[in-house]
Amino acid sequence: MDLYFWVFASMSVLAGLFTVAAKDALPSAMGLLTVFIALASLYLHLHAPLIAIFQVAIYAGAILILVVFVIMLLMTPGERMGVIQANASYRGLGVLLGLCLIGLIAVGTKGVSDIVSMKAPPEGFGNPSIFGDLFFSNFLLHFEVVSVLLLVALIGGIYLCKKRL
Amino acid sequence: MDDWLIAIIKVVGIWVWVLLIAVVMTWVERRGAGLIQDRPGPNRAGPWGLFQPLADGIKLFTKEEIIPTKAQKFLYIIGPALFSLPAFSAYAVVPFGDKIILGGKEIILQVSDVNIGFLYILAIGSMAVYGVILGGWGSTNKYSILGGLRSTAQMVSYEVPLGLALLAVVFVYGTFSLRDISLAQQGTFLGFLPNWGIFKQPLGFILFIVAAYAEANRVPFDLPEAESEIVSGYHTEYGSMRLGLYLFGEYVNLVTISGTIVALYFGSWHLPYIDLGAYLGPISWGIVSFCIFFLKVAFFLWLFVWVRWTLPRFRYDQVMGLGWRGLIPLALFNIFITALFIQLTV
Repeated sequence: MDLYFWVFASMSVLAGLFTVAAKDALPSAMGLLTVFIALASLYLHLHAPLIAIFQVAIYAGAILILVVFVIMLLMTPGERMGVIQANASYRGLGVLLGLCLIGLIAVGTKGVSDIVSMKAPPEGFGNPSIFGDLFFSNFLLHFEVVSVLLLVALIGGIYLCKKRL
Repeated sequence: MDDWLIAIIKVVGIWVWVLLIAVVMTWVERRGAGLIQDRPGPNRAGPWGLFQPLADGIKLFTKEEIIPTKAQKFLYIIGPALFSLPAFSAYAVVPFGDKIILGGKEIILQVSDVNIGFLYILAIGSMAVYGVILGGWGSTNKYSILGGLRSTAQMVSYEVPLGLALLAVVFVYGTFSLRDISLAQQGTFLGFLPNWGIFKQPLGFILFIVAAYAEANRVPFDLPEAESEIVSGYHTEYGSMRLGLYLFGEYVNLVTISGTIVALYFGSWHLPYIDLGAYLGPISWGIVSFCIFFLKVAFFLWLFVWVRWTLPRFRYDQVMGLGWRGLIPLALFNIFITALFIQLTV
């Protein structure tokens, strides 16, 4: 088997386990960071450098930073998450959500394998310019739907922040 | 085998070279401060105090390593490493010259010419903030946490105008690769100007350099380590070589930023109005292009020092206000104008 894949796949799984099991908030966030970086390495291995770099720049570089920022604002160093983790209802809901997610993934992969036959990626896939071409030709609708979604999120954010509109 | 050898030589060579510049920069910074403040600066160790970095290095390496009792050990130790690792690896996609032909083999003077180009620098640069956060948080000191919080907010805010300014550059050149962008800057623009990025993106250059100063935590944006307010910010509790890694990583970042500025906006290894590559042999052109590139980088390194000892520090709300209310609208305006121009001319 592919050694590179095993190293980074096991690294992401172990880091993911650490993320949910860690007692402190910030080390847990660092576990998530390790997951992101391991996944980015796997994308690199699959010859998709652009996706790898987006994974690092957006998930690790922007979203996780916001999470860490909130942790730093709301907690003090050394404060444990034990109180939150001991809460039975949180635990139950967590199990429920996790099962739902696994179910979704299982249904999704099975459904996809039934409907879609895998196509070979276009020539030079992974190159940023090919990506742009695909976005503005075959996937224009998806692209526009996502941009409308982001616009809605933006308006919602402004609405929540303004005390008086 | 040859390719492997060349790659290894390039990686090790450029790494050592960048570290060397960073070492000399610590001396330039202090002598420059002396020059600007009308005092000698360090001048005892060696000629013009040139061995001062060496003395500092020995001092930092031999100092006792202290870990505060209340510190969270793991975070405290890993912080400086996480800060310096991205700094040391970011230069990989920045060119340091055109190309050199040795033994019939063409070698480009760049560690790796990848098609994602400076997106790599952006991604790696955004990793550096974790080192600051972990250092500030792991120290369990209120000044450190304040410094860490400030740097998080500042770096996240200024990544936006930085990315938007770079987006306009992509509009102009149609590529992310720093080598392709450098090659496209040969010749003249409008018949009389050198064909450099700054003449096509004047506003973009100003936005980029302001945002880059903020990303590098340099004056006037050094709020994370403002001495007069929060002692030393995120590295208050650090000593010995752990502190050294923080300070040193900052200078390595300066080299990368200067290299990026030169490659994007100042014509890389091209001289204005004259194409030396057409007159010189392949080996001598390789060396000359390296020197031209380095001289331009040296100017921007000096600019960092110059600005640091000339300008006062911003207040914190001014920094955030400038980022969100000043730079981002201007960057969006710049993108709009660039797109309009390209639409009308192409």
